[in-house]
Amino acid sequence: MSELKDNHLSRRRFLGLMGATAALASGCSKPDRGAVVSDSKRPAGSVPGISDFYATTFQQCLDTHGVLVRTREGRPIHIEGNDLHPLSRGKAPLSAMADILRLYDPDRLAKPYMDGKPAGWEGCLEGLFNAVTAEKPKGKGVLLLTGALVSPTARALVSDLAAAVPGLKHAAWEPSLSETETSALKACYGSGRRPRLLLEEAKVLVTLEADLLSPDKPEQVAGFASRRTGRDMSRVYSVEAGVSLTGAKADHRFPWKPSSAASLAFALCRALSAKGVPLPPGVSASWLKPFDLDDLARTRSADPRLLQKLVEDLRSSRGSALVVAGPSLHSEAHAAAFLLNAMLGAEGRTLDASLSPEPEPLESNAYLSKILASAASGAFEAAVFWGADPAYAFPDQDLWHAAVSGIRAKAFIGTHADETAQPCRLILPANHWLESWNDFEPLKGVLSLQQPAIGPIFDTLQGEDILQGVLSRLKPGQPASYKERLMARWQREVYPGSALTSFARFWNASLHDGVLSRPASANPPRRLDPKAVAAAAKQADSAIREGFEVILSPSPTVADGRYANNGWLQELPHPMTKLSWGNAAAVSPGDARELGLRDGSLVALSVRDRKVVLPAVIVPGQAQGTVSSCLGYGRKTGTVARGVGVNLYPLLFDGPVFMDRAGVQATGGSAVLPFIQRHHKLEGRNAVRTLTLQQASGGPLSTLPHLSRLMPDQRFPGHKWAMAVDLGRCVGCQSCTLACQSENNVPVVGPERVLKGREMHWMRVDRYYEAGRVLFEPMLCQHCDDAPCETVCPVSATNHSPEGLNQMAYNRCVGTRYCSNNCPYKVRRFNFFEYAGHTKEPLDLAFNPEVTVRPRGVMEKCTFCVQRIDEAKAQARSQGRKLKDGDIVPACAAACPAGAIVFGDVNDPKSRISQAFRDPRGFRVLEELGIKPSTYLAEVTNPAEGHGA
Amino acid sequence: MAPEPLLAQGLTPGSLDDQVLAVPERRPPVSWIAAFAFTASLAGIGLLCMAYTLYTGIGAWGNNRPVVWAFDIINFVFWIGIGHAGTLISAILLMFRQRWRNSISRFAEAMTIFAVMVAGMFPLLHLGRPWINFWLFPYPNQRGLWPNFRSPLMWDVFAVSTYFSVSLLFWYLGLIPDLASLRDRANGWRKAVYTVLSLGWRGAASHWQHYEKAYTVLAGLATGLVLSVHSVVSFDFAVSLVPGWHMTIFPPYFVVGAIFSGFAMVVLGLLVVRSTLGMSNIITDRHLDLANKVVLGTSCLMAYSYLLEGFTAWYSMNPYIHHAFKNYVHGVYGWAGWLAIVCNVFIPQVYWSAKARASVPVMVGVSLAVLLGMWMERFVIIVISLHQDFLPSSWGIYKPTLVDFGILLGSFGIFFSLVLLFSRLLPVVTTTELKSDLAKASAATHG
Repeated sequence: MSELKDNHLSRRRFLGLMGATAALASGCSKPDRGAVVSDSKRPAGSVPGISDFYATTFQQCLDTHGVLVRTREGRPIHIEGNDLHPLSRGKAPLSAMADILRLYDPDRLAKPYMDGKPAGWEGCLEGLFNAVTAEKPKGKGVLLLTGALVSPTARALVSDLAAAVPGLKHAAWEPSLSETETSALKACYGSGRRPRLLLEEAKVLVTLEADLLSPDKPEQVAGFASRRTGRDMSRVYSVEAGVSLTGAKADHRFPWKPSSAASLAFALCRALSAKGVPLPPGVSASWLKPFDLDDLARTRSADPRLLQKLVEDLRSSRGSALVVAGPSLHSEAHAAAFLLNAMLGAEGRTLDASLSPEPEPLESNAYLSKILASAASGAFEAAVFWGADPAYAFPDQDLWHAAVSGIRAKAFIGTHADETAQPCRLILPANHWLESWNDFEPLKGVLSLQQPAIGPIFDTLQGEDILQGVLSRLKPGQPASYKERLMARWQREVYPGSALTSFARFWNASLHDGVLSRPASANPPRRLDPKAVAAAAKQADSAIREGFEVILSPSPTVADGRYANNGWLQELPHPMTKLSWGNAAAVSPGDARELGLRDGSLVALSVRDRKVVLPAVIVPGQAQGTVSSCLGYGRKTGTVARGVGVNLYPLLFDGPVFMDRAGVQATGGSAVLPFIQRHHKLEGRNAVRTLTLQQASGGPLSTLPHLSRLMPDQRFPGHKWAMAVDLGRCVGCQSCTLACQSENNVPVVGPERVLKGREMHWMRVDRYYEAGRVLFEPMLCQHCDDAPCETVCPVSATNHSPEGLNQMAYNRCVGTRYCSNNCPYKVRRFNFFEYAGHTKEPLDLAFNPEVTVRPRGVMEKCTFCVQRIDEAKAQARSQGRKLKDGDIVPACAAACPAGAIVFGDVNDPKSRISQAFRDPRGFRVLEELGIKPSTYLAEVTNPAEGHGA
Repeated sequence: MAPEPLLAQGLTPGSLDDQVLAVPERRPPVSWIAAFAFTASLAGIGLLCMAYTLYTGIGAWGNNRPVVWAFDIINFVFWIGIGHAGTLISAILLMFRQRWRNSISRFAEAMTIFAVMVAGMFPLLHLGRPWINFWLFPYPNQRGLWPNFRSPLMWDVFAVSTYFSVSLLFWYLGLIPDLASLRDRANGWRKAVYTVLSLGWRGAASHWQHYEKAYTVLAGLATGLVLSVHSVVSFDFAVSLVPGWHMTIFPPYFVVGAIFSGFAMVVLGLLVVRSTLGMSNIITDRHLDLANKVVLGTSCLMAYSYLLEGFTAWYSMNPYIHHAFKNYVHGVYGWAGWLAIVCNVFIPQVYWSAKARASVPVMVGVSLAVLLGMWMERFVIIVISLHQDFLPSSWGIYKPTLVDFGILLGSFGIFFSLVLLFSRLLPVVTTTELKSDLAKASAATHG
């Protein structure tokens, strides 16, 4: 303003000021859409253009995660982990990041319906109340079918309701959760408390048909990855049928039929005991007699010496070894794993059950069948379905239809009118979790709060509030809303009642952090019940069975089908097969040869009297005689989800455990599958590098002689941004791809265009099958110092920033696509159509306003999240300090649960990125082209001596 | 043995005028109308497909990642190549005093113009945002933006626009004396049009003097262009990193290929014009024989280029280039490579026989084969190189759509429609040059 005072306002400065004012005026006057908060009066503390963060909690089935929601002008736009949360430690699960799209899903139920017609909330709640509390003939009840109820407050609400409504039967059911581990825990330890796996403590890790590296369990990925670098790295053995991410990262992997996993585990116990490892008190060695490791190795054509080595490793790493059995195995396999862990002294070291809460009771498919059978015979007058979708996921649809016709009044509570909503008279739209209040206690003493990051976008109510409304009508003196109930419970049970802090301050502080840690009494130490072990050993049989064995597990992207309407997750490929938009039956190359299958051949998968036809995909490493596939597809509702993939729930009679004696036949037909990656072998190229632990201690990896060049090197005097990806840590989970999509407004193109090769992901995870192993390599713009894309652009739309970024001026791009030809990494993406312009309202609210939405005909690619760089710079400037290492975290790096992505300023010699650049494991992909790309750190494997590649 | 005369006996300057210059004065025959209706409908299909592309986006084509260039650039390179024969005939053969060019130069030059016009559509059409194509030109603007002169696409812009302007000038300059002859014969509105077009030509000695000078200067300019245009087009590929493109042999290899396909097109066009306009006394078998010899010669050069390219690839010891070359004849698109080799190298070898060079069916067959082969060669270079480059994870398959084929057909429709219009509206043969040939011939006989 000094310029104004001195009367020296230059024309340029004047225009600048005027321009800024005009921009502000137009920016402010533009009304926000819909019922979203309209800032006619700006709330205190909120500045347009500055992100606000809310700490909240994401729940999926039994798991809860502390997350941070980034909101802009009142709209949630991105989700990251809450670093104050002691379990999440700053990492959000993939589903939570993607579920922001469901908040704005145009398919969401926008208002309540009665008898298929829109109706007001007043009438609908009245209708629900009448249906639930109406006078019923004797012996008739009300069914409340829900998903897992994890929140203690919600569970209290439901039990209060059950007490108030005579005949109310509550059943919680999750179709894709296996109960085998819980029942084994109950049998062996007397309690279903699930221990935490402390993978960061595990020097030797053995997984039996278990995938520990789901991107929905970021804390496990983090623990695993932290032991995959350095001299003291872990050794991982994986025994499994389908290739999981854990199997892919394992140092040794045994393709194994799940039916003999239990006998293998008992055989390992016997071999350990023979080596002098004592059995737990009460366990007799004679029970283990039938299980012989060498016999098993012979019949399963596994290397017996390697299995002996595994035993030796377990023995020598007692106290830092861990064996994990997966959910699709029967309870005897879990019991065997418990016995192994007990022998290895895992309890309290690599396993911790001391603070695990008692798990929520869930009903099995068998039990739900009983309930539905009684419903079919008229036992229930009314039913409320809330968060459970039996019309889609219950295997016996005939029984479901019979049950539905036996219930007179049916009400549905949910965000989407899914299959279960179809026969319901009352459709009550529910809030998204980003619009809801709740609390969770994932671990004793860790209380995690859920708070709305936005007001309800549509005319919806939180599911708990609907039930609270029914309860309030029945019993006077109830809190007015679920939020008040929650606060009342906290005031009563959580608030320490200190004189120093009022409850309001305590509550606000807890909301701010999103989590509250308080001292809690540890569970009494658990003791393995030898009788249960004996029973399990009797159950386990090592007979070779005829026929195929089928393992169905929730999809790594759309989970049990609850996210099937999410375009981001549908387009995110399966991490192993790289198949997007649908599921397929993974078969081994040997079986494929025998059955005459190719990728996409249709196979009929028959289990007992059920048969499902789906396309096959050949996966090297799949155990011969097994088929793996994913649940969660083949939905009948949802604009995005409808008709994508095949519904495999009809095969799940006994829940998601493996099925034996299955049949697989080629039908002769075939389908064209939308693979995101179409070539699976590395073809002898050295784009991905792997070292064994011994090799890693040698000299630097890069052996390329220094290239003499005619041109002088580029100089970056200020900052020089760069990225390094540690392939040793990367587990291939693709959280980075999704986080990038959310942060950078990357469009979804749909299966037809994926088939054409037009997917838009700025960041992808390449997967190669190479020499019996699976290699992952996240690939994104390398921001080469001498970028080949820049020289060929006729209009200089892509050019180099003085800070080393290869940047795109979308406005300038005319779309010659020459840059894509000249990019050896093929990371540039072209807008073949107007993708973003076709975004249906209110989906456009999910866009990040800091990132240009690209029009048709324009090339786009990774920017290293330049908007975050600028944000951090502005923040540092306003705080009057210099940027420091770690101020800037691109979306992919923030999302990576393994911490494999390092970003920073290589001109700062102390930064983490500079250290990564000096790492002897460092190499550059296609270094020989002389374009100076970013750095990768080679993966290190730790194979057993004499068994290394 | 004395060579066969270039022109038929009994041709006089008067009969030449009557034969050539009378064409625009007559109503077109039914066969012409039918042919034009056919080519114009092809052009219509092409224009519809182009309009659809402009409306929806490049997604209407089969282009994808990694094959972001496909039919668009194949067609561009193909049509630019077709134009080359015209320039070679008019400029280089003029410089070398090859008199046999006189009967066919006008037609070949016209073909050049039309081919470059058709080719020029593709770089505009293939842009993601064609409505801002003018950003490719270095014009002063208030945004202070300037194109990137390091990009081969920029070089293309200059090469092709220079080529088009020089070819157009050259062609028009050559037309002026003939336009004046037409003016002198015509009456009514035709006279008015030809008067304007002939720029006041009176046939004065000073006119002829200036004409000859200008014609030679332009020929000199065009001579350089014959070699430079396709060299620059080849830089689009040679300057890039793509395995299979990154080769120094590309400029001469492209020029030879261009002349090769251009001559095949010239032969095809001459056969049509000669039979429909009854000009076998002016465009004689000897002309075709000579043109076919050029086809044979360039075919041998193509064979040499292929061998040398293969050798360079092998000698480079570069696994990426090895892979790209293996793909040319092996793999999903191996058929395309073989088709190009058979059409470009093996089939033209029949021209070693003089009988084959004189047989109309053989000429038609070979010319069509060469055109197909040269189009496939660009397919091989562009699609096969792109579909599998450095990182196997991004390898993909390209499949053209109906719109791609529609535009390809349309480009032929537009080209031949223009050729047909030209054959009715302007003299297809340079009568002034032929008259001087006739005068020389009669002087030789009577003198």
